[in-house]
Amino acid sequence: MLVQLLVTGLALGSMYGLVALGYHITWATSRTMNFSQGHAVMVGAVIAWALVVALGWPLPIGLLATLLALAVFGALIERVAVRPFFRASSPAWLLSTIACGIIAENVAQLLFGKDARAFPSALTQRPILVGGAGFYPQELLIPVVGLGLMALVQLFYHRTRYGRQLKAVAWNAEAAGLMGINVPRAVMASYALSALLAGVAGVLLAPLLNVAPTMGTIIGLKAFAVAIIGGLTSAPGIVLAGLGYGLLEAVVAGYVSTGAREIVGFALVILVLVVRPWGLLGAPPARRV
Amino acid sequence: MGRAGWATVAVAALLLPLSTSNTYYLYLACSVGLLTIVAAGLNVLAGFAGQISLGHAGFYALGAYGAGLAATRLGWPLWAAVPAGMVLAAIVGAAVGAAALRVSGPYLAMVTIAFGIIVEHVLVEWVSLTGGPGGIFNIPKLTVGGSYWPIAGCAAAALWLTANLRASAWGRALLAVKSSEVAAESLGISAYLARTTAFTISAALAGLAGGLFALLNGYISPDSFTLRTSILFLLALLFGGLGSVAGPLVGGAALTLLPELLTGLADYRLILYGSLLLVSIYGLPAGVVGAVGARGRRSAPDTGLPLPALSPEGRGVETAGEVLLGVEGLGVSFGGVVALADVTLTVPARGITAVIGPNGAGKTTLINLITGYYRPGAGEIRLAGEPIAGRAPHAVARLGVARTFQTAQPFDDLSVVENVMVGVAGARLGALGGALLHGPGTRRRERALRARALQLLAVLGLAARAEEPAASLPAGLRRWLEIARALATEPRLLLLDEPAAGLSPTEIAELDSRLTALRSQGGPAIVLVEHHMELVMAISDRISVLDYGRVIAAGAPATVRESPAVIEAYLGLPA
Amino acid sequence: MRRSASLLLTLSLLVAAATGAVAQSKEPVKIGLSAAVSGGSAASGEAIKRGLEIAIGEINAKGGVLGGRPLQLVVRDDEGQPAKGVTIARELVEREKVAAVFGGLHTPVALAQVAVWHELKTPYMGAWAAGTNITRNGQSPNYVFRVSANDDDADKFLTRYATEVLRKGKPGLLLENTSWGQSNEAGLTKWLGEKGIRAVGIEKFNWGDPDMSPQLLRLKNAGADHVVLVANAPEGAQVVKSRAKIGWEIPMVSHWGISGGRFAELTGELSDGVAFLQTYSFFGKQNERGEQVLKALKEKYGVKGPEDVIAPVGTANAYDGLHLVALAIEQAGSTDGAKVRDALEGLKAEYKGLIKTYRRPFTAEQHDALTDADYIMVVWRAGKIVPLAAK
Repeated sequence: MLVQLLVTGLALGSMYGLVALGYHITWATSRTMNFSQGHAVMVGAVIAWALVVALGWPLPIGLLATLLALAVFGALIERVAVRPFFRASSPAWLLSTIACGIIAENVAQLLFGKDARAFPSALTQRPILVGGAGFYPQELLIPVVGLGLMALVQLFYHRTRYGRQLKAVAWNAEAAGLMGINVPRAVMASYALSALLAGVAGVLLAPLLNVAPTMGTIIGLKAFAVAIIGGLTSAPGIVLAGLGYGLLEAVVAGYVSTGAREIVGFALVILVLVVRPWGLLGAPPARRV
Repeated sequence: MGRAGWATVAVAALLLPLSTSNTYYLYLACSVGLLTIVAAGLNVLAGFAGQISLGHAGFYALGAYGAGLAATRLGWPLWAAVPAGMVLAAIVGAAVGAAALRVSGPYLAMVTIAFGIIVEHVLVEWVSLTGGPGGIFNIPKLTVGGSYWPIAGCAAAALWLTANLRASAWGRALLAVKSSEVAAESLGISAYLARTTAFTISAALAGLAGGLFALLNGYISPDSFTLRTSILFLLALLFGGLGSVAGPLVGGAALTLLPELLTGLADYRLILYGSLLLVSIYGLPAGVVGAVGARGRRSAPDTGLPLPALSPEGRGVETAGEVLLGVEGLGVSFGGVVALADVTLTVPARGITAVIGPNGAGKTTLINLITGYYRPGAGEIRLAGEPIAGRAPHAVARLGVARTFQTAQPFDDLSVVENVMVGVAGARLGALGGALLHGPGTRRRERALRARALQLLAVLGLAARAEEPAASLPAGLRRWLEIARALATEPRLLLLDEPAAGLSPTEIAELDSRLTALRSQGGPAIVLVEHHMELVMAISDRISVLDYGRVIAAGAPATVRESPAVIEAYLGLPA
Repeated sequence: MRRSASLLLTLSLLVAAATGAVAQSKEPVKIGLSAAVSGGSAASGEAIKRGLEIAIGEINAKGGVLGGRPLQLVVRDDEGQPAKGVTIARELVEREKVAAVFGGLHTPVALAQVAVWHELKTPYMGAWAAGTNITRNGQSPNYVFRVSANDDDADKFLTRYATEVLRKGKPGLLLENTSWGQSNEAGLTKWLGEKGIRAVGIEKFNWGDPDMSPQLLRLKNAGADHVVLVANAPEGAQVVKSRAKIGWEIPMVSHWGISGGRFAELTGELSDGVAFLQTYSFFGKQNERGEQVLKALKEKYGVKGPEDVIAPVGTANAYDGLHLVALAIEQAGSTDGAKVRDALEGLKAEYKGLIKTYRRPFTAEQHDALTDADYIMVVWRAGKIVPLAAK
């Protein structure tokens, strides 16, 4: 059973990490985040389902279109829910992004329907059986894609010019602006990227979880927990925290009970924050005195 | 809301159950009351202390289950069961607050979310205690009409308590922490303690509402205490008006009644819900109440009193020549950059000591170290012989050290006189109970605080603007407000960080004369960090010069002015 | 003056709510529906609504009730929240003045509403929520009726099927961690006990859980020879997929929850052989009413065939329930709650309904029109529901 749990845990954990990375990206750039990242996951799954399953588009094109749509979705959230409050340094973006998520869920319900639908995939048809435990190839693909993407994002930030510009905005938006970096555009780009990552998670998870308008909320919440545990300012912290959280969840659910899983997981969040208030690898926000 | 407004609400509230027996309307009214109570508590936390909680459904649940279990398992009568639920919620609230409030912003939001979810799941899992998903049945309950009175009464009490809190030193302390935690700490207020207190109060009120919820329905189950419930609480407060006393009532009414009016649009419920949230955040930042009515009392006219001398009682009796502040070998680095190294400096108990130096020399860093905002890497700081290096800012403030900031940090949510009242009270907030109940002792204290604050404002020429919101002051006057506020704490040491920056020549002359007056009237020792050379040369008794984090000269103004090291560092003194 | 504006706003909202009833006319007889129309269980609410609307359409086409008064459906979304359900209950009775109210999927909501029906003396007809204590609530006179499965009978039925038809004696129970699951845990334990059997394991899962392999593995290790499942469609699908994932071929007997969504679509061929109980099936040969209802579903809602009928039990239960309520109203000769209630309890007319023929469906002791004798066991075969001969 342990192998089973480890595989499931890694798969889910890497997805939490991917979505959590989205929180980190926007936080690092603008000290704000899309509190409804989970709904972006759902939007990704829903759009992919609509294009690939309902309309029958070929998978690669459907996926590309989905990612594009997600980037637009992220940019929209930034424009509507975050930018008005960015300058005012008011925490209102927390609630306005929640509001956007709520609206997105209702719209999805109206357009997609209220039922859960299946997302067939070749990789969830036949399980691989290893000594009494079984897992789908999809569950192996997920962590690979997830970790690969996370590495790509890190490379982007550290090695490419645009990525470093985005980091500069995080350090000092005013100075970055004076250096010629278009700050509002940078923030919007960070939101687009963050939604894109969430959308990828949604598409990867859709065959395993089924697609429903309500599928995103709990994922978003746990990804947020992961981001907090890892430290909002630390990408490596988040990746590790994601994997750790996924494994912990699987093990607790496997050996104790599913009810305990949520309790232990969220209690861990509180515990980590009591001991290390800014996350395991995070840094406290600088206090301007 | 003026007196007339409240009176109308009170009359309507009294008339409602007497004019109708329609249990639907009465139930709605009860629901409004419950939401008002929770929102009032959240108002203390979010509106006054500026902290967002997304887990208050957890305290609501603790109150409901506490009351429900006390009534069904222990057989307690309702008037004991409901307070029991409230006490349970308050205790857990204090614990959670103490653990959680070392962080803020999204970190705090996450802790509260986690708390709410944990409570929800524990309610489901702990079947033997809570009845599991099925919940608790047959809680003794009153009729809807009967429940109305206790609920309306508690709602009124909750609003009354928050109004009292707002008008007390505690309330001002919370708003101060919200506006500028840094400045509040410089006046001796422990931001952590303030927030934890606010959190506990909000948890208690949520618990009270939960107990009444159980009493109203007779049946409770975990489905009623989810994250969505927590979001609803916050939305009600936001929509009604964060920080205003009437906000919870307006928001509670709106969020209970609007869905009822829109029942035909069930399919679009979430869109409307979300849009309402967006509208209230975007268009009504101060909520409905803020949009409809402006706060603010009439300013008291200038009393025409002669400028009173500043209170000559300092803290402790130090003779003029005695050293008040001793800094020795002080050093600190940030991320490898040495900000200060081997700084030694003494400040006598009387007089004005200036610290000057080019930009980036470390002058503000020095002030931040002395006042406890940074911890030194090396060296000592002694205040009247007592080592204070590394103590928290509010602790240093309580020892009689006050400061101003390079960019003035008035408490925007308070009026001008209230700003100074925060300084006068400092860490002495009085009993919380007194603050909530606004008894005669509290009222007396308030009058004394206000009188003292007005005195100080008069000295600094701000008396005419006493009742205005501090946010409306022009930049120059903010400086004076900050000085008045700092002086209000009756410090023995006052550190001024570039007070002359951005002032006109007339204002600088005023600053000169006031600082001189402080010195001659027995005010605190002053450390003046400044760029403005004429001012520094004119009024300082001693000057220390910093450059690249080191002291390069110290002594009387004339000596320092001639010092080659200083001239070199400055490469020509600024006008 | 401006300060009072916000107060005026509040007051005017109250007034508007109060006079909202201005629009209602006196003529129609209103029937209320309190169900989850949004959220995860929305399909059930929709199904119930359809059943009611079809039945109402039939009755109104024949002239309505009480000498020409048409029936009118008033739908409210209880969001699966007990507190909302209570508010709706009061609104439907006090403001909309409905003659009777139909219920939805959520047992906690139904339970919370029980007190209200008795306080306001309005009959309630459950169309889905199966919690045993909804109808067996200890009240007398009892205002709560139900045309639906109830967990106690369902558990009896499932137990008999497993022991007598499948001839298995080591059940592993897999239940959702809700009050519905809780209710069935009690019922299954009781009926298994009557046969002298104890479950080898009782496992739970939460709504939205993606993977139940750990639970199934634990049941497997405990030696279960069949699994009794109490789940809704999305979770049920995940259970079946988990079962395939760990390569455990074991018979599964399920409560009806898995019919509340697109179970076949979600599981593909894995659904084959999963047996579950229904009160009615639109697959296979239909009686006259069945044809009628299917036709109406096709015409009004664009349903293509039996596989397209979502949550069929909701539609079937509600359809029959409404006809019974209409008959009771006629018998009572008024819409007075107490009289309709009495009429329901002592219904004289025989009603050849969709699910069965109802003769004296309710008595003072029995407020469930359907018992385990009326349930059918069906099984998925290639995406279609096939009734099983033995019961």
